[in-house]
Amino acid sequence: MSGARALARRLAVPPLLALPLAAAAAEPCGARLGAGVERAESARYVVAFRPAPAPIAVGRAFALDAEVCPKRAAPRPTGLRVDAHMPEHRHGMNYRATVASAGGARYRAEGLLFHMPGRWQIVFDVEAGAEVERAVRDVPLE
Amino acid sequence: MRSGAFARAGAPLLAAAMLAFAPPAGATGLTGPEVRRVLQHGPWPQPVLRDPSNRASGQPDAIALGRRLFFDRRLALDGALSCAACHVPGRAFTDGRARARGRALLDRNTPSVLNVGLARWFGWDGAADSLWLQSVKPIVHPLELAADAAHVARLIRADPALACRYERAFGAARLAGADAEALLVDAGKALAAFLETLVTGRTPFDEFRDALARGDAAAAAAYPAAARRGLALFVGRGNCSFCHFGPAFTNGEFADVGVPYFVAPGRVDPGRHGGIRQLLADPRNLLGPYSDDASGAAASRTRHVALEHRNFGEFKVPGLREVARTAPYMHDGRLATLRDVVRHYSELDEDRLHADGERILRPLRLTPQESEDLVAFLESLSARAPARVIPPAGAPDECTTAEAAR
Ligand code: HEC
Ligand code: HEC
Ligand SMILES: [Cu+2]
Repeated sequence: MSGARALARRLAVPPLLALPLAAAAAEPCGARLGAGVERAESARYVVAFRPAPAPIAVGRAFALDAEVCPKRAAPRPTGLRVDAHMPEHRHGMNYRATVASAGGARYRAEGLLFHMPGRWQIVFDVEAGAEVERAVRDVPLE
Repeated sequence: MRSGAFARAGAPLLAAAMLAFAPPAGATGLTGPEVRRVLQHGPWPQPVLRDPSNRASGQPDAIALGRRLFFDRRLALDGALSCAACHVPGRAFTDGRARARGRALLDRNTPSVLNVGLARWFGWDGAADSLWLQSVKPIVHPLELAADAAHVARLIRADPALACRYERAFGAARLAGADAEALLVDAGKALAAFLETLVTGRTPFDEFRDALARGDAAAAAAYPAAARRGLALFVGRGNCSFCHFGPAFTNGEFADVGVPYFVAPGRVDPGRHGGIRQLLADPRNLLGPYSDDASGAAASRTRHVALEHRNFGEFKVPGLREVARTAPYMHDGRLATLRDVVRHYSELDEDRLHADGERILRPLRLTPQESEDLVAFLESLSARAPARVIPPAGAPDECTTAEAAR
């Protein structure tokens, strides 16, 4: 996971901090989620997320607390969908996550479980009205 | 949940072993990543955590009641069958048959109930989301004990030893006044509390695994070379530990490994697909009123389980501890020996796997030597002496003698 953390750090550099819509524009996306936040990025959004319990482990159900941050002048997010799969094995989870709004651009996804070691991808579909934009993040599991 | 213990347990040991075995230790013949995989199959035993959906879980009187019920033929409507008639203690809690025989031939093989307290789903198709639901099912199944709630409630109330344990575990008011369905579910919870105590012992593999974790090459050398080569295949080229993952050698989920699922000409076993449908329609599932978990957290898996077309023909990944003692194998017992199982994976019929099937399964085309090695490894997952469970049936119960002495 150290590579992943390095990536998260790289994503947190100043250009992404210029979030016109976020009230606390001085903070990186998801700073309020607490320690151990990771990030996925699409062209117009950053999705910061934090697993609970952390870290994600094979065979252990977990939830994700997430915050969606529009970059530059991207439209405000109106919803979030969360799913995950193993690209090499060509299969998804055996569970369908449910996502509830936690106020503002914050969400909580529940019911995830990674049932194998290997490379997983968490897929975030950010909804903004009728538009959907995808942010993907690799999660290598031992 | 319980599986959490798996994840937590591995981490510190992992770090230690990586130090001890980087670069790859020639002495074990395992590469660094293989060593890490091996360590994840322990430590053993794992703690069985209390089941939050079962208030009787871990409770001594409930365990004693469950033990009595497990061996008691009177639980069957006609008194002909007990749980132990199929889950025979001397046979690692299986029956040695390909398919179980109750009042008629059933569709599936009797799985062992050893280590079942570590599982997340129960039955080959996971149609039960709790160990207590899985324990109620055979009581009322028309081809198994064929009893009903009224029969079970009558039995518990009429038998001094059962009534005494029940009263201590669940309360006098319930014994006197609860409806029969409540007593049936309580019986399931007591059986579950007993089953949670059935944990397999330490094996030659565990000694090797712990020696690796300690970096103790001398102790590791006691593990037979054939088993070690088989283990390398298991965690390496064979991809076995993707599914047979963790200390219990199962990820607790479901897969299609190309075992045919025709039960009879024209009739198939739908496996996990049918299991999910049955579960969601079951009033005794964790979403229903019988769960003791007020937080609702235990039911999360039931709320989120996804029904997919690919679940058709998927079966639960069986744990492999004591596997040498649980023949025959697979959900319908079609494979008689571990050699047959290894041949199955070696010659895997790819046409039989779903088109979108998991790519980790390919025919392994093992040499005869490799096949023998894999069998030697699987045999090293058994304790030298099997666990002994003595049926209490007929013996006086400490509960009643204590009451009498008052
Ligand atoms: C007629 C033989 C038979 C009897 C009697 C029987 N079982 Fe079973 N048991 C089976 C079979 C077959 C399965 C697999 C069921 C399935 O997949 O649908 C099973 C599955 C189980 C499992 C799930 C194991 C796992 O790894 O998922 C448990 C627990 C269990 N039985 C407990 C019991 C209890 C408790 C009783 C007595 C109330 C009992 N059984 C009576 C044959 C039997
Ligand atoms: C894709 C997941 C997966 C992989 C990979 C896998 N297994 Fe299995 N294994 C299963 C499932 C599922 C079953 C039960 C299948 C059934 O009954 O239809 C099973 C059954 C077994 C059994 C029979 C156990 C019993 O109690 O009946 C053995 C032994 C076994 N596997 C060993 C292996 C070995 C050795 C390998 C590697 C060569 C392997 N498995 C790879 C999922 C897997
Ligand atoms: Cu996979």
